[in-house]
Amino acid sequence: MKALVAEDDPDIQLILRMVLTRIGKCEVVVSDRGDEVLMQAKSSNPDFILLDVMLPEMSGYDICKALKADPATNAIPIIFLTARAMPSEVKEAMNMGALGYLAKPFDPMTLVTQINQLLGPAGCSIGG
Amino acid sequence: MEEISAKSFEQVLQSTLRMIRTSWKIPACLFVQMDDTQLLRIRASDGLPTTIPAAFGFKPGAGIISQCLEKNQVLESGKIPWDEGFEAVLKPLETPQVKKFIIVPVAGQSRTLGVLVLGPVENSRNYLDREAELRGAGNLCAVLSAYWRLYEWMNNFLPQINHELRTPLTAIQGSLGMVLGGVFGNVGTEVKAMLEMAHKGCERTVLAIEAYINEKAPEKKS
Repeated sequence: MKALVAEDDPDIQLILRMVLTRIGKCEVVVSDRGDEVLMQAKSSNPDFILLDVMLPEMSGYDICKALKADPATNAIPIIFLTARAMPSEVKEAMNMGALGYLAKPFDPMTLVTQINQLLGPAGCSIGG
Repeated sequence: MEEISAKSFEQVLQSTLRMIRTSWKIPACLFVQMDDTQLLRIRASDGLPTTIPAAFGFKPGAGIISQCLEKNQVLESGKIPWDEGFEAVLKPLETPQVKKFIIVPVAGQSRTLGVLVLGPVENSRNYLDREAELRGAGNLCAVLSAYWRLYEWMNNFLPQINHELRTPLTAIQGSLGMVLGGVFGNVGTEVKAMLEMAHKGCERTVLAIEAYINEKAPEKKS
């Protein structure tokens, strides 16, 4: 399984990389700029995307809209992982076709389980 | 917490302007206020025949609105020219006999916040002897506008503080969680106790953030 992590904070990038590789047994591709995520989504062909909302150059919401509008990427499950967890923002993300919304801070020991709960209906799982 | 709507304050301010306009029997009433970019903008209005473009704003200069703000005096239009672009906004309301406007400073605690523009009124009528009433109307708008600005600020501030606190907490809680979860091997009992204390502190901070963002006081723990 391959995960594309769109996150601009280097500390959180490191934690997600460790959690997803060590516990989730995933290959991880990291992107820290909004415009890069769109290119990475096409070139690296990830099985799912963990997407922050506040990214340089392009917001997570705009990235989600663009990915869902492109036939080459619209089937990739998108999970928002963000510190912006106001109820209206959660609703906005879900309306854009995101698979789910996980709030920061997260528990690294249960993150893989949470991701699997969201990915389950899409027919895939990590860590196992 | 659902974001507080600033729209309701806008509506209250507009209905207040309507109340002032109808009780003074004048065609139009405008509330002009300095925004964060130091431009004077029409914050609310009632009775204008045309819609004011949202981008309309002007820098304070030598015009009558700027003079009213600077001197904190009730002024009548006529002798002092209007500020840039303002005459065009009010011109459609004027007739040769009815073309005077009253400009009322809206006072804050330590500075003038904006102005109330009332008119047009008959050129022969004197409004300056009703200064206390005019200033009272202006102060009512000042209170409503202050609340409006406060709620706008809160709507921007709460999501921002939420984000700024959660991001470093994610790094702290995430790294502690992985060490305590044994991802890097076992740690000694005393070190584990210390790390657990730090981890619980993070969790409490997250709960406090969530409680305040949701406008609920954190549960008091004995």
